[in-house]
Amino acid sequence: MGDSLKSLFVLGSSHNEAPLEVRERLALSAERLAKLQQTLLEDGLIRECLVVNTCNRLEVYGLANPSEDTEETVRNYLCRAQGVSRALLDRHSFWYTNLDVLQHALEVSSGLDSQMVGETEILGQMKEAYGRAKSAKATGAVLNRLFEKSFQAAKSARTQTGITRGQVSIGNVAVDLASRIFGKLGKSRVLLLGSGEVGEKTAQALKSRGVADISVSSRTYENAHRLAHELKGAAIDFDDFVEQLHNFDIIIGSTAAPGSLLSREVIGKAMQSRPEQPLFIIDLALPRDIDPKVEDLENVYLYNLDDLSKIANENLEARRSEIERARDILKGHAWNLWLQLRRRELMRER
Amino acid sequence: MPERPEAISTFTMLSELALTDRAAFATGAAIYGLAFLLGLVVLLLRKPYSRPVMFALLTGGFIIQTLGLNLRGAEIKACPLGNSFEIAQFISWSLVLLFFIVGPAFRLRLLGFFTSGLAALIAGGALLVPGWDKPYPPGIFGGNPWIELHAALAMFSYGVFAILALVSVMFLIQQHGLKKKQFKGIYQYLPSVHQLDLMAKRLLITGVGVLTAALIFGAVFWIDNLDLVPVFKLSATCLIWLGYIVVVVLRMQKKLVTRRHAIASIILFLLAMASLWPVQSAQEEAHGAVKAPASNTK
Repeated sequence: MGDSLKSLFVLGSSHNEAPLEVRERLALSAERLAKLQQTLLEDGLIRECLVVNTCNRLEVYGLANPSEDTEETVRNYLCRAQGVSRALLDRHSFWYTNLDVLQHALEVSSGLDSQMVGETEILGQMKEAYGRAKSAKATGAVLNRLFEKSFQAAKSARTQTGITRGQVSIGNVAVDLASRIFGKLGKSRVLLLGSGEVGEKTAQALKSRGVADISVSSRTYENAHRLAHELKGAAIDFDDFVEQLHNFDIIIGSTAAPGSLLSREVIGKAMQSRPEQPLFIIDLALPRDIDPKVEDLENVYLYNLDDLSKIANENLEARRSEIERARDILKGHAWNLWLQLRRRELMRER
Repeated sequence: MPERPEAISTFTMLSELALTDRAAFATGAAIYGLAFLLGLVVLLLRKPYSRPVMFALLTGGFIIQTLGLNLRGAEIKACPLGNSFEIAQFISWSLVLLFFIVGPAFRLRLLGFFTSGLAALIAGGALLVPGWDKPYPPGIFGGNPWIELHAALAMFSYGVFAILALVSVMFLIQQHGLKKKQFKGIYQYLPSVHQLDLMAKRLLITGVGVLTAALIFGAVFWIDNLDLVPVFKLSATCLIWLGYIVVVVLRMQKKLVTRRHAIASIILFLLAMASLWPVQSAQEEAHGAVKAPASNTK
């Protein structure tokens, strides 16, 4: 058997291994991600490479030349890229090789490994990561085959099982929580910070429930303006939104800012002028946009991605058997793919 | 007057049915208790209870309790507020009456469940303490309509404060659920924290308004009969009233809101209820309880 297939690996850290505080330290910006991918390829050890970076996972897929040091090398590169300690990464990460990589990639693509089991957004994120790596010529025959097959397998697992049935979206959970805080949402004013996709969907869910208005503020004013237009709301200059915080009842944080945007002091000051009015903050960003200490403030209700996903997964038990069925289907796909890759490798060696 | 013979005939008819006022109070309390248990079982099964059923049970309990108060009132020929037992019955009756006003108007979910629980506790609890239903001399209000109005309004305000305490408890439960990220169970059936807080504010102002009116009407009597009013009763009532006034002022200044407001409302209601017994004892001492049982209307 070809040695190269023995060096198929994935190093990752997801919601299964790392809490939100760790995930936000590991999250890579677009620039750092591209740089890491490039650095790995420049190292003679790695032949193919693809980095998936979402709010719930950071995963480095690769094909290495046969070596004993692959895991060590990739771990060190990742730590250097994000400036985190090896101890932290080792404590909150996994390392899979060979057939396990295939099974894992297939489960991730199909949403089985997602924080909200069965969600479909991950497939788009995987495709995006694949497209980016492919256009940067970071992938080759093995990873191309792996990812293309994983997308097909994800679709077949979804159509053949009921893993997405009864699935609750973040937007729906946010709307239910808003109703528990405000009752009818007709007088509630929403501020959307950033132009992240999940944030936009959450704002749309609130809009469908009849919130009074939605304002959008983003570092790039054009993005804010475009999104505000879509949501039939107003755009606010990113430098001004803090002064206007007291006017809003629901704040959705969905920016790609490297640190928190709203501290306890800032929110506390805004609450001084509206002590009787509750404030619902939905922090969908990673790293988080809102200081977690904000939660201690009276009449402020802060929910982050983990909180919302936990609520959304409350009906998971009902889907447990479907999840197991989907896993079995994916196992079959992974094994077939493994055989195909081995056959191809053998042909290449002849 | 045509109403009187009619009232007498109803009274006679009920007498013939051998329904005593205590039996009516007991039946009313039992129906409230049944409503509460039914709600509790359904909620423990993590399902929403049927609002029409809860409403029907509370209506049944309320009608029978009203009948009990009528029978007792007909016996003593005055508003039945002469001893702790009657006061407890009147407060629970006011509480349920307020539920009929507040519940449908503001559609506060689970309010019926909590109301039935508290009404059963107050009305049923009073039945379990025979010492509370002490006989008292007829004409306790001395035929003065002002003092009778004062007593009725004061007890009605306690009913308002009772429902305020319930709304505050509901607020604290919902807020706890939201802060602790609890989604299932009772939390999903409770009204929103904002609705509950607004309702608490309205009830506080209403209750204080009614109690203030009660104190003003009472003052008309006190001024002329200072020696007849026990100092302890006067001080306790004024302290409770002052406590609620302080809460209203702080609420208006937005210094006592949401959670702290809810806690203050619950504490004040508990203090108000706790003060009833010593206040009543002081009154009985002042009047020198003597004769005439008013508890067996056959």
